[in-house]
Amino acid sequence: MSRPHLLLPFAMLLPSFALVIWIMGYPVADLMRMSVHAVNRFGQAGNFVGALNFSKLFADPLFWASFRRTVIWTVCVTSGTIMISIPVALILSQDFAGRSLARLIVLLPWAVSATMTGIVWRWTLNGQFGMLNALLLKFGLTDQPIEFLATGQVAFPVAILIGILAAVPLTVIIFLGAFSSLPGDVFDAARIDGAGPLNTFRYMTLPLIRPFVNIAIVLNVIYAFNSFAIIWILTQGGPANSTDILVTYLYKVAFQYGKMAEASAMSLMMFAFLLVFCILYARFAMRERAL
Amino acid sequence: MKRKSRLSLLGISALAMSIAAMPAFAKTQLHVIVAHFSDHTLTTFQNAAKRFEAAHPDVEINIEDVSWDNLQQRLATDIAGGTAPDISVIATRWVLDYVQNDIAEPLDGYIKPEFRSRFYENLLKPGTVDGKTYLLPILASTRALYYNKDLYEKAGVSEAPKTWDELKAASEKVKAKGDGAYGFGIQGKEIETDTYWYYPFWSYGGDIVKDGKSGIGSDAGVQAANLYKSFIDAGLSQPSPTGSNRQDIETLFKQGRLGALVSGPWLRGQIASEAPKLNYGIAQMPGATKQLTWGGSDSMMLFKSSPNKEVAWQFMQEGIFSTETRLEFTLSEGFLPVLKEEMNDSRLANDASLKAFADMLPIAQFAPLMPQWEQVVAATTAALQQIYLGQQDAKTALGAAATQIDGLIAPQ
Repeated sequence: MSRPHLLLPFAMLLPSFALVIWIMGYPVADLMRMSVHAVNRFGQAGNFVGALNFSKLFADPLFWASFRRTVIWTVCVTSGTIMISIPVALILSQDFAGRSLARLIVLLPWAVSATMTGIVWRWTLNGQFGMLNALLLKFGLTDQPIEFLATGQVAFPVAILIGILAAVPLTVIIFLGAFSSLPGDVFDAARIDGAGPLNTFRYMTLPLIRPFVNIAIVLNVIYAFNSFAIIWILTQGGPANSTDILVTYLYKVAFQYGKMAEASAMSLMMFAFLLVFCILYARFAMRERAL
Repeated sequence: MKRKSRLSLLGISALAMSIAAMPAFAKTQLHVIVAHFSDHTLTTFQNAAKRFEAAHPDVEINIEDVSWDNLQQRLATDIAGGTAPDISVIATRWVLDYVQNDIAEPLDGYIKPEFRSRFYENLLKPGTVDGKTYLLPILASTRALYYNKDLYEKAGVSEAPKTWDELKAASEKVKAKGDGAYGFGIQGKEIETDTYWYYPFWSYGGDIVKDGKSGIGSDAGVQAANLYKSFIDAGLSQPSPTGSNRQDIETLFKQGRLGALVSGPWLRGQIASEAPKLNYGIAQMPGATKQLTWGGSDSMMLFKSSPNKEVAWQFMQEGIFSTETRLEFTLSEGFLPVLKEEMNDSRLANDASLKAFADMLPIAQFAPLMPQWEQVVAATTAALQQIYLGQQDAKTALGAAATQIDGLIAPQ
């Protein structure tokens, strides 16, 4: 009677495990099924076509251009976010008058959805009626309104900046947590030993918050890679597909062109890409710490 | 004893369930999806449903409005999930997809000759596939040239331009005199960027599809693209059209900063409420070798999967296409009527600006029916944007897009 049940923990885990499999596994399985069949606009599957959907995708120059842009987008948004968030969090973790207010202001944008951020910026950046152009003209910084969203060369970097802005609050929260968990006595010792603020940051703070940086990188990569709203609202991937990333192109292929099978193949590849990234990152970057 | 009470409990609960479920069995449920044309759309259709329910107490109608941007995706999801509505609004040009996938119910068996004769016949054509009628139009629209009378007067332009060359000349004068106003608005971003270019393209004798091949790379296409490019280069349009969608150029016009633009009947209503002081005129679409305008329509479709097709059809005939509902819709949305009898109403008959659009129905050209239409639009739009940005010349960009479209048209 008192014999420990070996199976009991597993039995108790089973319901939640089954739920996760159902919620996560079913869509992926359905995607896999659709990606090797001919599927009409309404998601009804037809004949088995093997790898045809994948080979169509590989032959599509827009897919590769979007892929390249997605990598640029993800790298820039993630690195930009982290480089801004660490100093911001560092300042916010100091004791100063009005700190709560400053924290609130930095974190508030988190409560605003990416969709709303996109809409506000679309209005702000408008070439004819936008607030930014009105300001630039007023201060004489430009004599012609700038159409920020009319060319890919300008619109894409602008979208990256907005993407960073949208990702900063969450990342700041992660680093605020990191800084509050730092052991105070080690830093006191360092100060007594005469370490300056720069050296303290370089040789103590950074190594100590390393696990948090890792988490922030993984979360931001996943978030940026799949972030649809900002680019879609600003440019819908245009002009002439010059700001399309994989998710915006995926939406067009699936719901505008009605090519559900190719879209399924594309989502699977995106899923696989993220999965491989996370596994590799966990192996190489996060393992170092254990040594 | 215990068993007996459990049984009786079962019996009672079964009875309770059947009572609760009775109204659902008794009433025929109809699910109707309409597009959100304006904030009044839902009310119009709900009024129609209320009147129908009053006449047929055994029917319960659920009207739902969905925004245009989501409609296509929403219907696709519903159809895939087996929860398609009985009736829905769709863009007429989507009809092929619905017919080829056996989702639309042909209506010829339901339509009586006297019902059919109430429609403008040419509006029924775009919803007809292989001789079968699948769609009934609920609105039509044409496009016309809006021009700012004050700006034109100041610039010394006495008449509305009749040709694209005249429009260019007028735009030059507006630019010279108009206090920073732009001569002509060109749309270069988002939905209908291609449409905005079909206007001159058709005037120069172009065809979107000719003999089963794309016609956009033709001389007419190059001419039309070069026309717009010359507007852009000479500063006769607003700068960088690839940053302006339809609403952007319409806003410029409402602000009095644009000499002219091409738009549909909806802009009249917007000007009336947002810029009532704007002194503007509506003229026919400019021509070149031909004069044609864009015709568009949206339609009602009956789903083959509907379990209550007879009742659904009855609601279409008696509810959606009753004179009362049609008038309420046309008057509140500002589109062109689809039933001839609507023009008997004095409010529509005496509306001069509506008449300007209705007069162009005979020269209205509808987009060709083709299954890959949205991809054709995307290819055309991308080519135009490259031309407007100066990244490629018209011949190269349109030629490449035409080759791409030929691949889409060819049976795969």
